[in-house]
Formats: sequence, C-alpha cells, structure tokens
Amino acid sequence: MTPGSRRYLHPEAIARIARLELRARAVVEGVLAGLHKSPYKGQSVEFLQHREYVRGDDLRRVDWKVWGRQDRFYVKEFEEETNLRVTLVVDGSASMNYASGPLGKYDYAATLAASLAWLALSHGDAVGCSVFDDKIRASVPPRTKRSHLASVVEVLETPRTGRPTAFMPVLRSLAETLPRRGLVMVISDLLGDRDGVFQGMQLLRKRGHDLVLLHVMDDDELDFPFEGPTRFEGLELPDALACNPRSLRAGYLAAVEAFLADVRTRAAAVRCDYSLIRTGEPVDAALVKFLARRASMAV
Amino acid sequence: MPTFDFLPLLWWGLPFVAAPVIIHLINLLRHRKVPWAAMEFLLASQRKYRTQVLLKQLLLLLLRVAAVLGIVLALAQPRWKSALGRMLGGARTEHVVLLDDSYSMGDLSAEGRLGDTRCFDRGRLVVERICTELAAVQGQQEVAIGRFSAFDEKGSAAVDRPAGTAVEAQAAQQGFDIRLQPVTPRLVQEVRDDLAGRSPSAVASGPRGAVAAAAGVLGGGTGAANVIWLISDFRFKDWKAADETAGLLRQLSDAGCEVRLVDCAAEGGDGRQPGNLTVERLEMAGGVPATGVLVPLEVAVRNNTDRPVRDVAVELREDALGRPGVRIAEIPAGGVGTQRFDVRFTKSGPHLVEATIPADAVAADNTRTMAVDVVDRVDVLLIDGDPTGGGRAGDAFYVATALAPGAGAPTGLRPRIEPPRSLATLDLASFDCIWLLDVERLDPPEVAALEAYARAGGGVVFFTGPRTKAEVVNRMLHRGGDGLFPVPLAGPVDLLPDAAGAAAAPDVVVEEHPVVAVLSGQRNPLLDAVRIERSMAVERGFEPAATSGLRRLLSLRSGGPLVVERPYGDGMVVAVLSTAAPTWNNWARGNPSWVVVMLELESHLARTRRRAESLEVGEPVSVRLDAAVDEIEVDIAVPPDGTLVHQTAEASPAGGLEATLAETSVAGGYTARWRRLDGTERERLFAVNVAADEGQLERIGRERLDRVLAGVAFKYDRAESLEPDTTTLAGVPLVKPLLYLLAAVLILEQVLAYSASYHAAPRRKSVA
Repeated sequence: MTPGSRRYLHPEAIARIARLELRARAVVEGVLAGLHKSPYKGQSVEFLQHREYVRGDDLRRVDWKVWGRQDRFYVKEFEEETNLRVTLVVDGSASMNYASGPLGKYDYAATLAASLAWLALSHGDAVGCSVFDDKIRASVPPRTKRSHLASVVEVLETPRTGRPTAFMPVLRSLAETLPRRGLVMVISDLLGDRDGVFQGMQLLRKRGHDLVLLHVMDDDELDFPFEGPTRFEGLELPDALACNPRSLRAGYLAAVEAFLADVRTRAAAVRCDYSLIRTGEPVDAALVKFLARRASMAV
Repeated sequence: MPTFDFLPLLWWGLPFVAAPVIIHLINLLRHRKVPWAAMEFLLASQRKYRTQVLLKQLLLLLLRVAAVLGIVLALAQPRWKSALGRMLGGARTEHVVLLDDSYSMGDLSAEGRLGDTRCFDRGRLVVERICTELAAVQGQQEVAIGRFSAFDEKGSAAVDRPAGTAVEAQAAQQGFDIRLQPVTPRLVQEVRDDLAGRSPSAVASGPRGAVAAAAGVLGGGTGAANVIWLISDFRFKDWKAADETAGLLRQLSDAGCEVRLVDCAAEGGDGRQPGNLTVERLEMAGGVPATGVLVPLEVAVRNNTDRPVRDVAVELREDALGRPGVRIAEIPAGGVGTQRFDVRFTKSGPHLVEATIPADAVAADNTRTMAVDVVDRVDVLLIDGDPTGGGRAGDAFYVATALAPGAGAPTGLRPRIEPPRSLATLDLASFDCIWLLDVERLDPPEVAALEAYARAGGGVVFFTGPRTKAEVVNRMLHRGGDGLFPVPLAGPVDLLPDAAGAAAAPDVVVEEHPVVAVLSGQRNPLLDAVRIERSMAVERGFEPAATSGLRRLLSLRSGGPLVVERPYGDGMVVAVLSTAAPTWNNWARGNPSWVVVMLELESHLARTRRRAESLEVGEPVSVRLDAAVDEIEVDIAVPPDGTLVHQTAEASPAGGLEATLAETSVAGGYTARWRRLDGTERERLFAVNVAADEGQLERIGRERLDRVLAGVAFKYDRAESLEPDTTTLAGVPLVKPLLYLLAAVLILEQVLAYSASYHAAPRRKSVA
C-alpha cells in the first residue's frame, strides 16, 4: 500500500465514493499494490470432459488432437478449480446503523465485505454473501466469476429493515445451506444475542468451516467521547437514558472492556479468527492488517 | 458579621448565584439525542454509578454556585466586623472622639525644649485626620466629637453607664460639639473649621466625664460597631486613680467597643520636661483688707519639674496696673516656693491682684488672680461683760486698743463695744469678728445668734475673767462639747510662783500655731515678761474628742491651757482662759506682743470668711442678693474683655435670691454689678483661677496606663505615628481571603469537572 493510497483511502475518502463496488475496488487495488505481484498468474484447470463443439465456443478451447484423429470438433471442458469458498455474512441489524463519522458501521462492514469479495474473486476463489438481521435478508451463493462481485454488492446494498440481530437462526441456516466446507467470514458489531453468535459459529465449525469474525465497532462506542447532557436512545433495545455521559464514561468503558474480553475468549474457544476493527481506521489498513495476520497464521 | 462596601452590587449580583442551577435545569431540558447501539454497556454503567454520579453532580453544582457567590461577594467588597454586638448592626460604625482640652494640653514642650506646637494642636490634627480617613472609608461611619471640658461637670452627672436605648443615647449627646452623624466631606470641613477656632480650655477636666458621656452615646441599642477615641496628653494626675474611668472603659470594651487612646504629649528629648511652674496660690497672709492698711499677701509657686528652679520673678499687677514684682530665690524640684509682699489699697471696693510668672511650657497656670474686697474699716464687735463699761481699765479698752491702736498705726479695724444683749439685735454678719470679754451670762437668743454666726464661718473669741461663771459657761456655751465654748471650765485657779524665782521659765508657753508663730522659736523677751497670776482651769479629766479639732495656742507654765481654739461649723472659736485687762495677768500692760497676737488672732478668725472669694474655672459665680435691698438684675463682666452677661436672680435652694453665672470657662476677675433699691450701685469681684494641679505635666506612661486600664482592650498610639487604620475601622477586608477561597473553589470545580469529563488526548484510556 502506497502512502498515496493510504491518504486517499481514509473512511472519509471512501465514503465519497458512492458505489460500493467502486469503493471495494479502490480499497483492494490499494491493498494489492503492496501485497501481490499479479492475481492473474499461475491459474490452473483440471480436465473434466470433451464435448462437441457448438457455435460460439472459444476456438482456443478446441482439442485439435481429437480433430486430427476423428476429424470432429470437440472442445475440452475443465473443472473449475478453486482453493476457497468464501461466504461473507454481514450484520445488517439496526445496531449497525450507528455512525459517528462518514462511514457508519454497516457501510464500513459492507465496504470491508465487498473488498474481501473483490480480493477473493481476484484470486479465483468463490465468494458468497449474506446480509442478515434476525434472519437472512439477502443472499448470493459462492461463485468464482469476477462478475459475481456485482451480485455480492447487490446483496450488500439490499435495503435494511432496522430489525434487531438474531445470530443463532441465521448461522444455523447458513450451516445447513452451505454445501461445502469453506471460509465463513462474519462481519458484525456483535451487539445483541452474544450467546447466539458463538453457538451459531460452533455449528459452522462443526461443519468444517473455517471461521473469521470481523468485529466492527464505531470509535464512539469504544471511546465514548460524549459531553453535555445527552439522551441515548437504543437502536435495538427499547431503552433510553438521559444522562451526563462524562459521569458514566468510566463505567461504560469498563463494561465495553469486559465485553471485548468475553468476545475474544469465546472466539478463541470456537477457534475463530477474531479481529476488532474500528470504523475510524482506514478500510485498507484494516484489510492489510487482517490479511497480514492471516498470512502469518498460514505460515 | 460581614459588611459590604458596595452593598448594591451584592443585591444585584445575588440573583446570578442561581445561574448554575438554572443552567443545569436548562441543560436537563436540552438533552442532545443520540441513537445508540451499545445501550447495554451504558445501562450497566448507569446502574453501577448512579449514586456516585448524583453526588458528584450535586457537588459540582454546589461548587459552581459557590464560585458565582464568591465572585459576587468579592465585587461587593465584604469586611468582617468581629464583635457579637454587631450581628444586627450592618455596616454602621459609631465613633465618639473625645479631645482633651484641659489646660495642660497647651503644653508647648517638645523634645526637652519649648516648641511652637501645643499638645492640643497635635490632638486637633489627629481629630481632623480621623474624620478625613473615616470619610474615605466605604460604609456608613458616624462620628460624635466632644471635648473634655464640656463634660467637666455635666458628663459626670449625666451617664455613668452605657445607654440602654436610642433615646438615652440621643439625650446623652448634649455637650458634644459634633453630635453623632454620618461622616461626609462636608462634615470633615465643618470639624476642621470648628477646631481651628478652638484652644485648650482653662479647666482641669479629666477624662471621666467625657468617657461617661461617650458611654451614653455608644451602645444606644442601634447594634452598630463602636469606637471610642481618647485624644489626650495622659497626665499622671488624671490617670493615677482613674478607677471610675477605667471601669467605664472596661464596660465599653466588654460590650465590644474598640478603645483607641492617642497620646498627644511630645516625647521628652532627654527624658526631661522643660520647666513648668504653676502659680499655685495667691492670698492674704493675714491683715485686714481695709483702705490705707498694709495687707500682707503671699504668692506660692510650685515647681513641677524634676530639678530646682532659682530666681523666679513674679510680676504683680493691682487692678491691671503693674506694681513692683517679687522674686523667689529657689524652688526645690517638685516643691513650692513662697514670697510675701504687702499691698496698701488706697480705695475701698473690690480690687484684683494678679501674679504672673515668666512664660513656660504651659501658659494657663502662669497667672493667678485674687479678689480683695477692701473696705474703709472692718467692724469688729466687742461684747463687754462689764456692765459699767470698765473704762480704761476694762477688758474692752485693752482689746479695742490692740485692734485699733490709733491713726499712727492703722489696722483697718473698727472695734464696736456693745453689751451682751446686742447679740440678739445686731446683724452679726456685718462684723469681721466677735469678741466676748468676761461675759457673766448670755441668754439663749444671744447664744443662738452667736452660734449661727460662728456656724456660718464667723470667728468668736472668748476672754474669761472674774465675772465668768464656770457653771454657766459649761451649761450655756460648752454644753458637753456641742456648744461654742471649746472646753468645760472648772473655775479660776492661781498660777503659783515658780520656785526658781525670776530666772525660772516664763509663765506662757508658745504652742505650734500660726497666730503665735511670731512668738515661737527662741525665747522671746516680750513673752517672758508676761506674768499670769490667775486663769480659768479646765475641768479635770476633760479629754476632747479626737475629731473636735481642739488646739492649743498658748499654754501655762503649769501645763494647763491658756489659749485654745476649736472649729465650730464653718467658723472658729478661741477661748483665752484669762482676762484681757491686766486683772489676772500683765500681758496687755505695755507689752507689744499683746497687740501683735490680738491682730494675728483677728486675722486668723476672719480668714475663713475671706477665703470663699477664690473660685476655680468651671465653678459658677453666684451673687447672693437681699430681696429687701437689692434689685434682681445683675450684670456680670466676664474676662478677658469684660463682656457683660446679664443674669436675673432667682430663689436659691438655700433661701434668698441668687444670680448665678453657671459656667466660668476663662480664668480672671469676674465683676458682678447690680443696683440696690435705693439706687446705689453694688459691685463684687470674683477671682476665678485654673486648678493648680493641672500644671503637673508628669505623664502616666504606657506601663502605668496598662496597669490602670487592666482588663480594657485598648490600642495606644502616639499622635505623630497614629495610623487611623481605616481597614480596622471599617472592618477587616475579606476580599483577599475570599479570592483565595474562590480560587480554591474554582480549582476544585475544575478537578471535579475534569474527573467527570472526557478528554480525548489520552487515547490509551479508550478501549482497544
């Protein structure tokens, strides 16, 4: 990642890009510029069968040896080979609506998801995506086509209902529907049914999925910088609290600290790769950090 | 109780104290709404810290209220008045300034020599300075100014304790030059103008009267703070036994009144005061104040310094005309020097004699006057007990001859020989002295008239003799000591000849007494020649009461008394226990000492009647009138310029009419003139002098003052180094401590606010 890309990939800069696809491209190209030589090299296929040529087939795929022996045009069909089936599970509940900066938590999560999808597709991996709240609101199965990114983005841009989160039914549903083992990346603020998150992830783990939990939290939620009389109204909970936030800050931070410690512990228990990402952090930086850590784990 | 220099600012500012509360309430209504995802953490914090947060908020609110209050108070310039009595008094302070104007305040001495500034001038400047400072002090300062002399009599009679009510306090203000009123620049000018025209008075008033009057003014129930200022020279004679003054000051001090003493006397340069001499006395030293008669006068000068003074010139004036002065050779330190001189008055009527010594530290006591009412002849009544008159061998002849020897030796006396019965009919008051010569008996009206005369200050002389009956004298005149006659008589006894013959001791022994002082000392040949053959013996076993005042003038060789005296009322009675004529003795026969002793005796007995003419400054001048012969309108010429003060005689408590000039403020001769009903004019002269002891300039000093005023919380300043200390007058300013407190409150508020607020800088504090 060049310094220039870092400069331009601040959340504010990313936010100015209206389309999620373009946002993802901007992020990933910045990332790739530093991490990869070329995503198009070393591509390999496994022969599956011959079939008779029909008009429109790519002449490059005609098996000329068979034509020489049988004088008939056959084209080679290869089984598509992918290293990974990535399923992006993005929390679209009401709590993800909070935004202290230009990018709200959901926007940040969506950008992150789109960027990951772009990366995966760039590597020829299959990418699927689901957006959920108390159930899966939109979904697209894993595909390897690069054009599949548009489908992923389309899912991420699905209008949200403002419902609270219900992790367990969603993750159970995913565990049942995902046909093959793959990488499941859950992007959420984890506010809501915390037990449900890890029970659901336990299910996915049992199905052999590799699990990544990207915990997105707003800077405000981590720093609680509020001053002056404030009335906090719950995005998911029905409660409201009028208070002087300065006086509650210490207790709030302690509670958040306890929450994060619990999440880390439970994530480790289900062998889930957990990362906490602040929305104030540039998306590309968060992505690089995450990928670098994954790379180091792979070694 | 705090008071405020800018009280209106306090009232305007107090509503702002509610500002933090109002802002807090407004903020409660102006909550910013934040849709919040992580409510569970917030609710957990709120559950945990609710009480602490409430307390902290409350404390913060209180601190902010305190801070605003502190600012408002600081702007209002608070001051602290400590006394409990000021709890209800607000910012008002009442000052009573008492300026000593006794004549010792005219002391010019400074640093051991005579200067040109009097103590009074320094005191006057102190008063002006106090008023000026008070005018500059914020807050209501009230002042009353009075002088010691104004309370010389009135003050002592007015109030002896702090007034209980405002009405009493108001009434007690009589006599003050400036009555209690707020100090304004205009008043300061008024005080300055008033004091500029004042000088030390001629009175010797001490502080008691003034302090008593001040006590009446202060503590009138107004609850204001009180300060009493005593501006004086603090002379030892005024303060050595000032128990009453100290008691009054103690009462004031205990009641919370601040007592400030300002010493105006100059410091002695070498510890020695320049000489101050006082003409202490000027009076007749015997003699008869009659025309053409040499009247012996005596002037006494007291040396009030700690070193002897030599060759003091005394300038004399008679009726404002100078006459040859006299010199006193030496006056010991602290002692008195006297000098006699003779005056011969050529005209009858009142005369004023004035003695003046050279100028010294205090001018007022350098002059003393004496009024002498000179008559052509002084009538002396001789009651002759001899019904035949006795002729040239009778007692009356010898006494009359001694009192009025003849034209060659004028004594001014005019003896009048009358029988005993005339005692009841004559106006005895017109006689200088009454002599009773071997009277056989007196009737009760005659005894009563004689006793009234003696009780009123007259002098009576009894001579005994062959007609004198001891039993009658004891019953009618002695009456067991209640009557006129000094001793009870036993009867005539002969003085037996001395066994030693002519060379033996004289018959008469001179005792210590001014009348016979001329005969005392060495053996006097004149007295040695006196032979007493018979005398009247005193009753055996007679022991006079210790308080009777009985005194011997002459005794007999045998030890018995010959001449005795005893006071009776205001007068004096002398009993000669032998005859005047050479019947029982040879004293009157050709012996000059007879004449001398008789004249001295006459002067001695008449002195009491002549003494009352000298008055002290401050005492009233009273002229007694006889309604039967005098008109009631009296003009009194007051010194020094003879201003006439008209007085109308009124009935006096003692009976008769009396015209009184109530106040004499200047020393000198006061002349009263009135008409008689027959159209003739009468005149009487009164000599009014300063009190001699005021000329004693010894100061009490701080140490002795501390002892005298033990228990009084007072502050002592020298006039030249006085700091009126307006901050103390107005109370201790609280602005500085208040600002410190305010700073502490603000710091505490900031600390508390900081602890309760979010600060972005320490990033590591945040989670993750």
